[in-house]
Amino acid sequence: MARKLAPYGVAVGGTILLTAGIGAVTRFASVSGLSAFYLLSVLWLGARWGRGPAITGSVAAFLLYDFFFVPPVGTFAVRGPAELLELVVLLAVALVTSQLAASLRRAQATSEAFARDSRSLYEMATAALRTPDVTSALTLVANAAADLSCVREFALVAMDFGQPVPLAGASVGAEQVRQAVWSYEKARPVGISIKDGTVTVLKQTGGADAWSYLPLASGVVVLTVEDQHHDPADLRMLAALIALADLLLDRRRAALESERARGLEASDRLKAAILSSLSHELKSPIATLRAGLTALAAPRAGLADEQRELVNDLDHQATRLDRMVGDMLALSRLEAGLELDREPHSFADLAAEALRQLRGQTKDREVVVDIPDDLPPVDADELQIGRVITNLLENALEWTPPHGVIEIGARVRGSTLEAWVENSGPPISTGDLDRVFDTFWTRRARGTGLGLAISKRVVEAHGGTIRAENRRRGPRFTFALPLAQVTAPQ
Amino acid sequence: MSGRVLVVEDEPEMQRALRAGLRYHDFDVRVAGTGEEAVHEAALWRPDVVLLDLGLPGMDGFETLRALRPASRAAVIVVSVMPGEKDKVRALDAGADDYVVKPFGTDELVARIKAVLRRQADVRSGEPVIRSGDIEIDLARRAVKVKNRAVRLTPTEYELLRVLALNAGKPVSHSTLLRQVWGDYAIGDRYNTRYVVAQIRKKLGDDAADPHYIINEPGVGYRLQTE
Repeated sequence: MARKLAPYGVAVGGTILLTAGIGAVTRFASVSGLSAFYLLSVLWLGARWGRGPAITGSVAAFLLYDFFFVPPVGTFAVRGPAELLELVVLLAVALVTSQLAASLRRAQATSEAFARDSRSLYEMATAALRTPDVTSALTLVANAAADLSCVREFALVAMDFGQPVPLAGASVGAEQVRQAVWSYEKARPVGISIKDGTVTVLKQTGGADAWSYLPLASGVVVLTVEDQHHDPADLRMLAALIALADLLLDRRRAALESERARGLEASDRLKAAILSSLSHELKSPIATLRAGLTALAAPRAGLADEQRELVNDLDHQATRLDRMVGDMLALSRLEAGLELDREPHSFADLAAEALRQLRGQTKDREVVVDIPDDLPPVDADELQIGRVITNLLENALEWTPPHGVIEIGARVRGSTLEAWVENSGPPISTGDLDRVFDTFWTRRARGTGLGLAISKRVVEAHGGTIRAENRRRGPRFTFALPLAQVTAPQ
Repeated sequence: MSGRVLVVEDEPEMQRALRAGLRYHDFDVRVAGTGEEAVHEAALWRPDVVLLDLGLPGMDGFETLRALRPASRAAVIVVSVMPGEKDKVRALDAGADDYVVKPFGTDELVARIKAVLRRQADVRSGEPVIRSGDIEIDLARRAVKVKNRAVRLTPTEYELLRVLALNAGKPVSHSTLLRQVWGDYAIGDRYNTRYVVAQIRKKLGDDAADPHYIINEPGVGYRLQTE
């Protein structure tokens, strides 16, 4: 109170002192235009303290001047319009200067506040970005936001792979978290909005206790605001802090994603290592069996014909066992979801390679190849798709009677290549058409029941489809593979 | 044909089976159980072929391959259980002459050994003309003939065929082909190589489903058949 009244005291006291000074001067000499001194003092009061003290000063000046210097001296009588004008001029000067000074002061205060805000925001951003741990950086930002006069409570909820994680600031309840998720998923702010670098507080039905939600790229701001008295500078600062939180939440998300990718990679490596050691354990004994049996089958080993025949039979069984183990390992590899080595491949080449491998078995069948020369390449893992084609051809060979027909063909259909393998063997019974791709399902006494199951998984791993149907000639297996995006070779 | 074969293999049962099997086919066989022993034996005994299992304890197959290469002129056939294609390529690029996947029969192994021995003999004879079935590649004159009829190849096609011919009988990896045909800074992919191979096959009158000259090595590269 005393501080507020002091300028008025100065205004009155100063004017009295000024009057005494003018009185002392006029005792020795007559000076005209003495009222100009009062004008100066009112100017100074207006610039220094604003309107109130300036008006007080101008009224005091008018009264003292009138009393001491305007005849009849010693009275407050106002005799003419000239003196009234003098009072009006003094008052006008007081009002105008104080107005000017006040707006100047306001501008200065604003720019100082702005500088202060920028500085503290800069310091905050620097500190936050220097903190290696994003969560503590976010806590810094949340605390700074909660310190603003317009904010009551402030919290940040991160959205990690779609899961809400309350991260920094005030503790929020399950209901607030649920609301935050809703706001994030709908990308819809509740209670506040940000535009042009400032925060706008919207009227809410819940009153002062209502929570506001602002969805960001990787999280949600959850806060309550004071219901009145929103300093615009504070609202701008809040917007800036929210922008900083947005950046930090993004950084946190990027870090989490790369960590997760590293984890998946490590688990893939582990799976691959287990499968590779399993392959070794299962295949090594078969390798020794086959090396030993085939050594014995050599003429120089000196076995009798009957014995050599027996050894050859055993080697055939070992070869079968080898194939089964290979199929099962291939299946586990596919089920472990190990990566494909995809590249653009000519389907004609893949088919030719499969036919080359089966050359010995296709001799007494007619093989029809219906693959146009100008097919675009497919995006495929050479070995895996090669295995699919080999499996389907072997399956066809198994069911085609001598001198029967096997057809392999391909056509472009939309953005895929549709390929088929058909044979002139007996049709598959309707009930079995869906089951042929099941693991261990087989129509053959000696089959492993894995060939078609592997084919289906390989094709699906490529993002393709496979199906079985009966055509007029016999069963047909059709699979679709995505086409590759390539530039033509020079 | 006979020759000296050094079997590098750690399992005693497999050692016995290979020793017996190869001896029945008239090879002179010695066995080493570790990489160090193999390097030592290769220097002293001078085998023609080293049969190297990649899954050795201690000094592994690749290290042994690197240690063998400068010291020995022996052809190296790498043996492995279900090798990834990357392992095959790595072994070929490290100087192996061929690879065999376990389990294998003795006949298949003997055929591979004979093939590398034959190739060694060709290389030693210094003959500048390489034959694969009906084709004749004259490296000195840069001329290619099929059944005595001259075939015109583009420079890229000839270069690719020449690289395969210099390694006749041996699988050449896609990466080696790319590097040797298109240079160190080639920004090609395997699709380019396949395209050029398809062109060569067409000009040689070869059928991809039943090729007589250039054979696919799925996931690895190509091999020029010699017989």
